[in-house]
Parts: sequence; structure tokens; C-alpha cells
Amino acid sequence: MAIVGAIVYGLPKFLSWSLNTPYPMAAITSGSMWPALNEGDLVFIKGGLKKEDLKEGDVVVYRNERGGSFTIHRIVELSENDFTTKGDANFQEDKPTPYDQLIGKALTLSGKPLHIPYLGSITVIANNLKQ
Amino acid sequence: MFKTSEKIIGIILIVIFLFVFYLTLDANKFKAVVRVVEGEGVIGLNPTTERLDFGDLSRGTSAVRRVSIKNETRLKLPMRVAMFKLGGISGLMDIDKNFFKLKAGEEAEINFTVYMPASAEIDKNYTGRVFLFKIPVI
Repeated sequence: MAIVGAIVYGLPKFLSWSLNTPYPMAAITSGSMWPALNEGDLVFIKGGLKKEDLKEGDVVVYRNERGGSFTIHRIVELSENDFTTKGDANFQEDKPTPYDQLIGKALTLSGKPLHIPYLGSITVIANNLKQ
Repeated sequence: MFKTSEKIIGIILIVIFLFVFYLTLDANKFKAVVRVVEGEGVIGLNPTTERLDFGDLSRGTSAVRRVSIKNETRLKLPMRVAMFKLGGISGLMDIDKNFFKLKAGEEAEINFTVYMPASAEIDKNYTGRVFLFKIPVI
């Protein structure tokens, strides 16, 4: 029990510290990044990034214009004051986003976003139950 | 030999195994397939077979297949319908209702929609399977 408790409470804190972000994990709730990321996947986010750390093709998480919610899409263009993203499965690009809205970049493995299938669904259900 | 508590646990495990085995055997299995074609607004044939065949679709288009299900259990029990999709097509397929209850004798229609996103590979066949479980509610 102690081990399970340590994992449940300790792991997010450890990831938060090691990935330098208060949001070290994110659940994918739409198919806009298919096939790189599927609905229900859990991805890991590396924070503390500057403008210089970004490049076209990176999968980034940012606070979208709707306020509280986040978007995870791929960078298609970098400008002086903002960056533009697009979901792989989408036909249109998103509106440019200022750099101060950036949360982080998806951790990658062999150039592809590192993700755990289905685990994101569990976190979404757990969060819904908590509310 | 075995203690009484071990026997009870053993019996419970056997019952659970038989229940899961029955549900798996009784499940409807549908093979699903769609082919990505070049062009705009291209929707190919959608033949009516036992398969969930969505035909040929170009990027940005979608196709719907409909499956009817009727609760015809001899025991007149309500049942819960649960569906799981597997394979490459699962990320493209939307099921309009899932985990719903069906009263004895009641019939329901389930719509399976495949939408072809911008990232779909041209000339590729996306396949998969849909498992439809009917779980009796006691």
C-alpha cells in the first residue's frame, strides 16, 4: 500500500520537478494529432523552454485562446512574437499563439512523441470522478 | 487439501472465467475496413456486407455504417451493450453510442462513422475489428 501511495502521489511530483513544469503529463482528448497521438494517450511534457528551444515540427502544449484548456499540436511556423501550430489530422492551421502561452514540448522517443496508450483515458475518468 | 476459503475463491474464479468466456463467444465481431483515395470529396462504394466496409474515402470526407441490434435473450433480461474497437481504423472511427442498456425485446441502431483526416495516407487500407459485447444485467 505504501509503495502504491508513494507512486500515485510521488510520481507526478517527481515528474514535475524533473521535467520543470507544473503540468508534466497530459491526456489526449481528441483525434487532431492522429496518427502520432491517439485519443486516450498520455504524453509527457517538458517545460521551462525558451523561444530558441523550439523548432518547426515540435509537438508543443500551449494554453489556447479559450482560456483554461490546453492544446497539443505541431509547430508549423515560428515568428518573432508567436508560433503557429496545426494538428496533424486537421486541414487548417491554428491561430498564432504568443510564446508566453507555451506550456512545454512533448517528450520524444526516436523522433516521435512518447506516449502511453489508454492511460490518458484513465486520468480523464479519474479527474471527472474527482470533480 | 484445500481449505474452505480457498475452495470458495476457486469457485468464484471459475464462475468469472465461464462468464467472460460466454461473453466473448457471444460477442459480435465486425471486421472494419476503409481505403484512402486521392481527390476531394471522393466517396466510393459502401457495399452492404457483414463487414463494416466504409469503401473508398478521400481526405476530409466521411462515411457512416449502421448496425441494428436486438435484445432477444430467452431469459427476457435487459442487457448492456459495450463495444471495443481495435486496429488502425479505430482512431478514425466514431461510435455514436456505447455502454448503453437494452431492455428485453428492444432494438437499437448504432452508427459507425469514419472520418478521413488530413494525415491519412493515400492508397492505404485502414483495417480493424469492432467487438460488440452483450452483457446480461441481473
